[in-house]
Amino acid sequence: MLTAAKNQLRVSALSIKYNLMREMTNHASFIISVIFMMLNNATFIIQWIILFSIRSDFGGYRMKQVMLLWAIACSSYGIAHILFNKAFTISDSIMKGQLDSFLVQPKNVLISLITSETNTSSIGDLLYGIVVVLIVCPEKIGIYFLFSIFSAISFTAIAIQFGSFAFWIVRSDVIADYVISSMIHFSTYPADGIFKGVTKLILYTIVPVEFVNYMPLRLILHFNFEEFLYVLLFSVGITTIAIVTFYRGLRHYSSTNLMCGRIN
Amino acid sequence: MDYAIQVTNLKKTYKVKQKEKGLIGSMKSFIHPMYKEIDAVDNISFSVTPGEVIAFLGPNGAGKSTTIKMLTGILYPNQGYCKVWGLDPSKHRKKLAYHIGTVFGQKEQLWMHLTPYDNFQFFAAVYDMKKEEANQRIQELIEVFELEEFVNTPVRNLSLGQRIRCEIVTSLIHHPDILFLDEPTIGLDPVVKENIRSLIKKMNKEFHTTIFLTSHDIGDIEKLCKRIIIVNHGKIVLDDSMEEIKYHYLHKKILEVKLKEEMELSHIPGVTVIKSKGANLKLELDTNVTTVGEVMNQIDTNNLIDINISNIPLEQIITQIYKRGDES
Amino acid sequence: MRKYWFIFKTTVMESIQYILNTIIGFFTYFIVTFVFFQLWVYIYSDGQNTIAGYGLKQMVWYVMLTELMWFVNSNHTLLSQMSNDIRSGGIAYGINKPYHYLLYCVAKHFGDIAVRFVIYLVLGVLLGILFVGPLDNFCLWQLPFVSITFILGMTLNALIRMLINILCFWMEDAKPIQWIYDKFIIVIGTTFPIEIFPRWAQGALRFSPIFVITYGPVKLIIDFSFPLLFQVLAAQLAYLVSVALIMYFLYQKGVKRLNVNGG
Repeated sequence: MLTAAKNQLRVSALSIKYNLMREMTNHASFIISVIFMMLNNATFIIQWIILFSIRSDFGGYRMKQVMLLWAIACSSYGIAHILFNKAFTISDSIMKGQLDSFLVQPKNVLISLITSETNTSSIGDLLYGIVVVLIVCPEKIGIYFLFSIFSAISFTAIAIQFGSFAFWIVRSDVIADYVISSMIHFSTYPADGIFKGVTKLILYTIVPVEFVNYMPLRLILHFNFEEFLYVLLFSVGITTIAIVTFYRGLRHYSSTNLMCGRIN
Repeated sequence: MDYAIQVTNLKKTYKVKQKEKGLIGSMKSFIHPMYKEIDAVDNISFSVTPGEVIAFLGPNGAGKSTTIKMLTGILYPNQGYCKVWGLDPSKHRKKLAYHIGTVFGQKEQLWMHLTPYDNFQFFAAVYDMKKEEANQRIQELIEVFELEEFVNTPVRNLSLGQRIRCEIVTSLIHHPDILFLDEPTIGLDPVVKENIRSLIKKMNKEFHTTIFLTSHDIGDIEKLCKRIIIVNHGKIVLDDSMEEIKYHYLHKKILEVKLKEEMELSHIPGVTVIKSKGANLKLELDTNVTTVGEVMNQIDTNNLIDINISNIPLEQIITQIYKRGDES
Repeated sequence: MRKYWFIFKTTVMESIQYILNTIIGFFTYFIVTFVFFQLWVYIYSDGQNTIAGYGLKQMVWYVMLTELMWFVNSNHTLLSQMSNDIRSGGIAYGINKPYHYLLYCVAKHFGDIAVRFVIYLVLGVLLGILFVGPLDNFCLWQLPFVSITFILGMTLNALIRMLINILCFWMEDAKPIQWIYDKFIIVIGTTFPIEIFPRWAQGALRFSPIFVITYGPVKLIIDFSFPLLFQVLAAQLAYLVSVALIMYFLYQKGVKRLNVNGG
């Protein structure tokens, strides 16, 4: 069991390494894409400077909190897209029959699949998050890293969960895209402070940014065991559900054969 | 191990959404989707013994790929069961993976920016091979299949033929007992095709690998396989040795004669004139009715310039079998 | 002129095939505007009636309309095709045809976005009414005037982006400039009306493309006045003439350069 896990890690690490090597063959364009991604995130500071000039607090959020919220969103997005980029297009892989080559390997299909691609500009996202934390509250960098990893795992699991619907429903990539893009949007606004009623309910359920972004933010600022347990439970829970859904779906996997059927 | 592959009443159906044409059709099928069940593989049974080289043939959409994918653990069968190297692919996918190698003609598994050598190392890691073991195996493969020339060139700079050779060799890295090849020579030029065929032959001889091959290329089959299974519409229509097939279906001969003067031969029983252009004739004769000698007796040897006797090409035989399947 | 109309029409017909994708894509617009709608509701909830002269309704409609313009107008396929054409020398095929390459691009651009524009406009207006109700000051007779400035604004945006792409004749990659322009419009031009910015910035912004592309046309819709109309129209025409001239001039120079280099 342990050696199997070790071997799996070895292959995934190799895969990520090779992917990074490929992306970095052109040094200049790699560095430019990373820098632009960081600048891209930084432009939103302007937006918040203006918003805070109109109102001094947004449901308890001040500039520091908003910056930290951004940092968590960026680093969890970054980590997830550096390590598990394919999880975010999993429905595409399912529909195009790209699971075949992983299914014939004596490895975990899901892990092999999601680590088979990397998005290098996301390194810029991760770096941006780190830079912000180092400026806003450098003493919290350790706990910030911890929760960024939690968020990245939950975020990836959600992508797998919704993406796996493609095993059953033909154009379900739309659903996954909707959830992912909603999460990205909500995770950079203090929505738990300003949203009310039904919309707030959504933040706990379909688009669970509450557990992926807002709670970790509160925990970084003031750690409390109860919320930590929630975040932990959510992470473990959603990952388990996503894995189960994926493997259930795998039984319905039709490789590329269904495509051929559809043309006829 | 009695059987390398054992398939019993295997069945796979696909639900295919039916859609009318146009925007309204799209809307309709969105609200009330209609499904049609298609039997891609319909109740097939066969077995393969270790060391055999078998051809799995059929027209497009006959269920070849679906069968291979069920045997390799990619697809779950709806009914029936199969055992590959003693394992059920849908239950012991990972275990089975150590025993099988796969090459899917149009799907590349190699890393393009890495050299074949690095690729071999990567896949050695995938199959949990130790460093020394991997190095030794890679050296062996490079020697046996003569890859020295380009083993250190990035895959993207290799020719298509070299690439496919590497693909196949990669699939051998872990000493598989069975190799599944889905159209390995598709899109290759004749020289490269020949190359790949000798590679496949070699691995069967040197490593005793069982080979399960699908192809549209009759050349592949004639040169490599001793046994043929033909499927059509998801059913097996023929499962026989190459010799038997030739014996049963080769009761017809093609006779091409070039004469000095025109001559009438169509009156001989069992002879049909396929082509006749002046003094050049192409005849098909049924050896159950007549013999080559009998026909020869009818031709005045003084009148004969040239003669050529040949068997019906395998391609035609197979097409005939497909058609027969369609009629029944 | 007929051939450009024909290019436009053909492209529209082509884009109709992807109508479902367009409708699906509307969701992102919905999310973006929804977040801003909630944000503004929250900001106004502390009792302020107006911020920088805008009521809640006007503020929400401002964001909805500027975002609408932005979402409809960002046509990456054509723009990247243009810069690819120029860099790869494939533009040579466009030059020797009996039409002007730039006009061809304009016609194709509007053909590409026409269907999306109609869909987004209908759905966007419905969404706005759902969020905050119809605008109080808007009257139907204003429609012809605001339509003109709205379409002129979109045209200008397309032209400026084309102009940036023409720089590919001289630069390896115009993407950084494209990016800076896009960010400028998105962060400053779509989220807030000019009045919200500090006084020292307002003057500069009134002369920037934001005034003619997003602020001007949208401000006319939420708060129409003839003086502003003339101001916006004058600025738009001035921009149009100068951008078109610069573009034409640069294009001619670029093509000559291309001939010298042999593509």
